[in-house]
Amino acid sequence: MEVLKRNNVTVTGTGQQAMVFMHGFGCNQHMWRLVAPAFEDRYRVVLLDLVGAGKSDLAAYNPARYSTLDAHAEDVLDVLQALDLHDTVLVGHSVSAMIAVLVAIREPARVARLVLVAPSPRYLNDAGYTGGFELADIEELFDTMDNNYLGWSAGITPVIMGHPERPELSEELNNSFCNTDPTIAQHFARVTFLSDNRADLPHVRTPALILQSAQDALAPLAVGQYLHQHLANSQLTVLNNPGHCPHLSAPQQTISAINLFLEPARIAQV
Amino acid sequence: MKEGDFMKMPVLDLRLTEENLDDLYDNAPCGYCSCLPDGTLVKLNHTLLQWLGYQREELVARQCLQQLLTVGGRLHFEMHGVPLLLLQGHIREISYSLRTKTGAAVPVLLNAVLLRDANGNPLVVRVTLFDITDRRKYEQELLRTKAEAEAQREQLRSQNEELIRINADLDSFVYTASHDLRQPVHNLAGLFQEFERSATFHDPASANMVGMFHEALQQLLGTIDGLTEVVQQQRELAQAPAEAVELQAFTEEVIRSLPAAVGEPEAVFTLDFGAVPTLHMARPGLQSVLYNLLSNALKYAQPGQEPRIAVRTAYHDDMVVLSVQDNGRGIDLGRHGGELFQLFRRFHPDVAGSGVGLYLVNRLVHLAGGRIETSSEVGQGTTFRLFLPK
Repeated sequence: MEVLKRNNVTVTGTGQQAMVFMHGFGCNQHMWRLVAPAFEDRYRVVLLDLVGAGKSDLAAYNPARYSTLDAHAEDVLDVLQALDLHDTVLVGHSVSAMIAVLVAIREPARVARLVLVAPSPRYLNDAGYTGGFELADIEELFDTMDNNYLGWSAGITPVIMGHPERPELSEELNNSFCNTDPTIAQHFARVTFLSDNRADLPHVRTPALILQSAQDALAPLAVGQYLHQHLANSQLTVLNNPGHCPHLSAPQQTISAINLFLEPARIAQV
Repeated sequence: MKEGDFMKMPVLDLRLTEENLDDLYDNAPCGYCSCLPDGTLVKLNHTLLQWLGYQREELVARQCLQQLLTVGGRLHFEMHGVPLLLLQGHIREISYSLRTKTGAAVPVLLNAVLLRDANGNPLVVRVTLFDITDRRKYEQELLRTKAEAEAQREQLRSQNEELIRINADLDSFVYTASHDLRQPVHNLAGLFQEFERSATFHDPASANMVGMFHEALQQLLGTIDGLTEVVQQQRELAQAPAEAVELQAFTEEVIRSLPAAVGEPEAVFTLDFGAVPTLHMARPGLQSVLYNLLSNALKYAQPGQEPRIAVRTAYHDDMVVLSVQDNGRGIDLGRHGGELFQLFRRFHPDVAGSGVGLYLVNRLVHLAGGRIETSSEVGQGTTFRLFLPK
């Protein structure tokens, strides 16, 4: 099916309910490899790459269409539709946490629970809101990305990206896990860091878990608290593990927190 | 080297090879530091401390590696560097800027490896930093030039689009204008004919003026026909498919269709297509090109002299060259070269012509992806060399 190919969807695990994992900016579905397998015995585990990342169809990345997070939310809905999934647990990291929120608002019947890992509805500070960053900081990030993509000539990326059957081609490059087309990454970074989804939060009815790190350079504690206040049916769990990627740096804590949210009764018995 | 030579070499002072490892670490020509998995600095070498302008006590256990980077670099490290370290155990050649204690930036390349404990849990991150101040300047220059080139390319693209649009508009304007003019001019001719038949002219100069009026009317019609032809030919060519054309037979056919020059010596044609016997082009376009060039060669022959016209093909680099050479009157290219292919430009007013032919030839050749080179000498003849894609 086209949609499943477009988003490089992989499905594993068995269970009545599906758990859909969405990666954040800067990487791909690999990010979930220490967490997702823990749910395969009870859930259908669905992993995907956002269009423009990982092994998604890079040709489908039309900058005009993907100039807001809504297009990614539509893609995820396409995937849910294609797999005929309802009442899913939608797990989104970083920017994908907001994409998950948009999906839940559009088709609430498809999303039973939201797990938002290191989320932020807006990275830039605003009057009465602490996002953690000024525009100059974000511009500096774009510069850093520019400096790091210097060696990526437009000529060599298609070779790497276009040969999924020859992984050694991409292994030759450093930092290969999170390789992506530099032009797309630059665009997606702008969309991610300049987006503002605060106005969407009151429309969410789905029960949500906010998994916040005590020290996260991208999402300060104040952002987690803001989300908790503005998501009606939410609970905030602060992980004592510092960093923006608890699913990589503290997978066990992350798994436990998600389990506790999804099946409190079962955990209590253990 | 003989065995004896070996003995004569000076004995190496082995003390020089016994590097003091602590000194090597501290004063290596690169920055070293080690951090806990969360980035907390636990060890830094002297070189790095010197770059940063901090005392060891100010950093160890107090600051994280990320805090030594610019904010943008910190974001990048958290989103890209940390996940990669955890996923693949190392990162290499990531470009960041360190912030010194005084706020200055030191551009560095960062390599790091993650060490795990016996249980596989992250234990420590070893980081090596290379000062790339000069390289960064050069990279910035490259980035700036790249951005400039991209901006220029974008500008060219939009200008090109604009030109294509304007060209299409002009074509359609010419077509409409010629079409709309034709009918009233024909009416004018009919009316004048009727007027001439019914009116009586008393002034003896009238007959002359009537003749001039006819001439002017014919010129007007000729111009309108020329315009229509130009547009129609281009439209036809745009629709006609390119195909392999046998040049010998095709050119002979064109020569047969040329009007015979009355009272002038018969022309001698030399055809030589041995080098390139076929040409890949749309037939109507090639027909029009050859017809116009050959009929010009006849029209502008030296009066009273036998016209000798040679048509040849040859390869030049990766193009086919189709040349038409005559021994006619020639054109002063120094004076007229720039206007040679302009519509309605004429260089021999004493010979009848519309000023459409060469304009059309040039446009057809360009449409086919080629170009024309012309050489000419007044009184000697002219050679048109058409460079066409294979």
